[in-house]
Amino acid sequence: MRVVVAEDLFLLRDGLTRLLAAHDFEIAASVDTAPGLLSALLTERPDVAVVDVRLPPSFADDGLQAALAARRQVPGLPVLLLSQYVEQLYAREMLADQLGGVGYLLKDRVFNDDQFVDAIRTVAAGGTVMDPEVVSKLLGRRSFEGPITRLSGREREVLALMAEGRSNAAIAQRLFVTEKAVSKHTTSIFTKLNLAPSEDDNRRVLAVLAFLNA
Amino acid sequence: MWLLMKLFYRTFAHLLRRFGLGLLLVPVTAVALVLFGLHAWTVLAFLLAVAVAFWWPTVAAALLPVIMVAVGVAGLVLAATVTGPGGNWMRSAVSGFQVSAKPGGGASWVIKTPAGLQVVQLPVAAARFGVGQGTITFAGHVPPAVALNRLHQAQVNFRVASKAAAAKQIAVNKKLVKRPPNAKLPQAKRIQRPAAVSGVGYVAAAPRPAFRLWTGPGAVHTVISPVPRPSPWAGRLVPVALLLIALGLWLAPRTFAEFRQRTPGLLPYLRRRMQEIRWGILLVPTAVLGLTIFGMNPVTLGMVAAAAVITLRWPRVAADLVPVLLTVFAVYGFVLTARWESAPLGVLASHPQLYGFVEVSSRELAVLAGAEASAFLAMAAWLFPRTVVKHGRLLTAAEPNLELEGRVQRLTETRDHALHNAASELRRIERDLHDGAQARLVALGMNLRAVERMLPASPDAALALVAEARETSVRALNDLRDLIRGICPPVLADRGLGHAVRALALDTPLPVVLDIDLPGRLSAPVESACYFAIAELLANAVKHSGARQVQLRIRHGDGLLRVEVSDDGVGCADPANGTGLQGIERRLGTFDGILAVSSPPGGPTMIVMEVPCALLSPKTCSC
Repeated sequence: MRVVVAEDLFLLRDGLTRLLAAHDFEIAASVDTAPGLLSALLTERPDVAVVDVRLPPSFADDGLQAALAARRQVPGLPVLLLSQYVEQLYAREMLADQLGGVGYLLKDRVFNDDQFVDAIRTVAAGGTVMDPEVVSKLLGRRSFEGPITRLSGREREVLALMAEGRSNAAIAQRLFVTEKAVSKHTTSIFTKLNLAPSEDDNRRVLAVLAFLNA
Repeated sequence: MWLLMKLFYRTFAHLLRRFGLGLLLVPVTAVALVLFGLHAWTVLAFLLAVAVAFWWPTVAAALLPVIMVAVGVAGLVLAATVTGPGGNWMRSAVSGFQVSAKPGGGASWVIKTPAGLQVVQLPVAAARFGVGQGTITFAGHVPPAVALNRLHQAQVNFRVASKAAAAKQIAVNKKLVKRPPNAKLPQAKRIQRPAAVSGVGYVAAAPRPAFRLWTGPGAVHTVISPVPRPSPWAGRLVPVALLLIALGLWLAPRTFAEFRQRTPGLLPYLRRRMQEIRWGILLVPTAVLGLTIFGMNPVTLGMVAAAAVITLRWPRVAADLVPVLLTVFAVYGFVLTARWESAPLGVLASHPQLYGFVEVSSRELAVLAGAEASAFLAMAAWLFPRTVVKHGRLLTAAEPNLELEGRVQRLTETRDHALHNAASELRRIERDLHDGAQARLVALGMNLRAVERMLPASPDAALALVAEARETSVRALNDLRDLIRGICPPVLADRGLGHAVRALALDTPLPVVLDIDLPGRLSAPVESACYFAIAELLANAVKHSGARQVQLRIRHGDGLLRVEVSDDGVGCADPANGTGLQGIERRLGTFDGILAVSSPPGGPTMIVMEVPCALLSPKTCSC
């Protein structure tokens, strides 16, 4: 699997590439600026990109902007954003094109390399991985709007774990239920959110988006 | 006796508890009363002290060390001018004169004192001018120089037995006038009738400290020499004074601190008054100076009182009057000096004139008074541009710019708030770092060291420790993240106020209806202040209002940023109540921003913030 890594701090970039190489990823390019990232994404067309939100030249959200620009030209180009902080605002912007293949994680998540590599693979496969911090903030809301209010408590739990990018099997393990029960919940969620049965993965993305936008 | 002492101690302790340290003012002023003698003013001061001690114990406690030191210093000065067995550092003083006369003069004499002098007692034995001695006593203790001076100014009326003797006497006087042993000897003009049996003689200075009294035909008959007399007080005065000074200095910081604590508003008030009054503070001392020149009478006392009133009511006028008055006094001083030089000696000599700090009774002292007048003039010249010229310029300039003054006042206040805020913010950050990330990094280091030691022996336990270390590093990162959010929220830095408020609304557990129209970015400080103000208002709405929905509207136009936050909660938000809204108001004040709150009981609450600021292009600003 070919990866583009964008990170301006040398130590972190070096660590990331080594970690990915150790898990049999092929490093297509490792860049340290937003313009460099954009051109690498467009020329290399990697299977997935691991991108730091804050990049030179302006050290604001340049990484995010470059990733969004690349996805406008190559729809659905899988991008996993890393950041020292997570903002729902940025998560929504990433998900706005409803194509999936998007991840948004705190940099600390790299510490657990297995989960981190799983997340990269989920994103590369077109899934959606939101940091648990984003998800917990969503759940902390006092009230929801729209179709999401129709969900039961258990369904909301399942949807939250879905937003974190977990597969049905992982959700089942986490909630101590059978995978079958989880898949019943997901079907119910899709129905309540008016998501017509099509390609399953895309429905998952749309469900997470509805969750974020509630 | 023992019971009496116990009773005294009990009463004293009770009174001390009841009135505090200020009660000690009474015994201290009593000591002063004994030291300075029983006069109207000392008694008055004592009664005043008693009144203050009982009615304003705080003031009395604050005054106590001041009065202790003052009485102590006065006591030392007194001790220095009084004879006694106190030691050789004390100069001897004169408390009496011995008069000795040679027999054969045959004249009697009377010493008449000029007004205000205190030579009182007649020498009885010498009155017959035949034998022995008499004593001239001064009331109170008078230093030798002053005593001699006063004696010198005394007239001695004499009566001689025969015309021949009188003629001789007059001849002597004339001779004296021709070749005076001392220049200060007045002309003997007053002896008008040669045939008279009585006349006026003068005490002339002999080699000091003795005097010769020129009265009889033999001329040098009478010798007056000063006699030191020990003072009963001198021995005890010094230790008492030193004790008072030491106690006063020891007490001063304590009572002052307590006074400051009890009257917190006083010092700022005094400082403000001092800033208003400035040089006007000199008016009353200057008026008192006039008191020494023109004597104490109803008019001059009225002037001093008027000076006090002017100082308090019209400080600027007071400041202008100071150099004018000083100039008048200086001119008077020059005239005094000049007249002393030119006038017939007797005229002024018999009327010594007090001028400021100098009692002019001799040519040298007149010159000193002239020097003093010069000093006054110099001071007036120095003050002139600082008072009259400055105020004149203010008057001739455009009418006082009230708006500008108000602006300066406001800027001073808001700058204070800003500095205070910045300082307390830094302290908070320091505390957070110290207790949070820093402590966790220390723990991390210790864990890793433990791992180093354990690795060869028990790899499993080491592995558990490594996991713990990783957990600690995550927590440290969390701490840092929270801290950074509190200093400079990332979205605010990245994208400005509009997006940051959107992100904030997403994190708020209440539905927030946003209506934001900000085409560009604002300056970083304004963005930060507005962001945290909005964050606080949203938090208030969540915590206190019980609202179901918050509406947030941000607009920028005509150089003014307007933020409206309204909710459908219970209302009753009051800036006077609680520090949150006040804090927002103060922080916005730094940018000349304002906060308006409308929150009737039962709601809804509407809060409007307006901050004047320019809109910058999106690219030029970063936090």
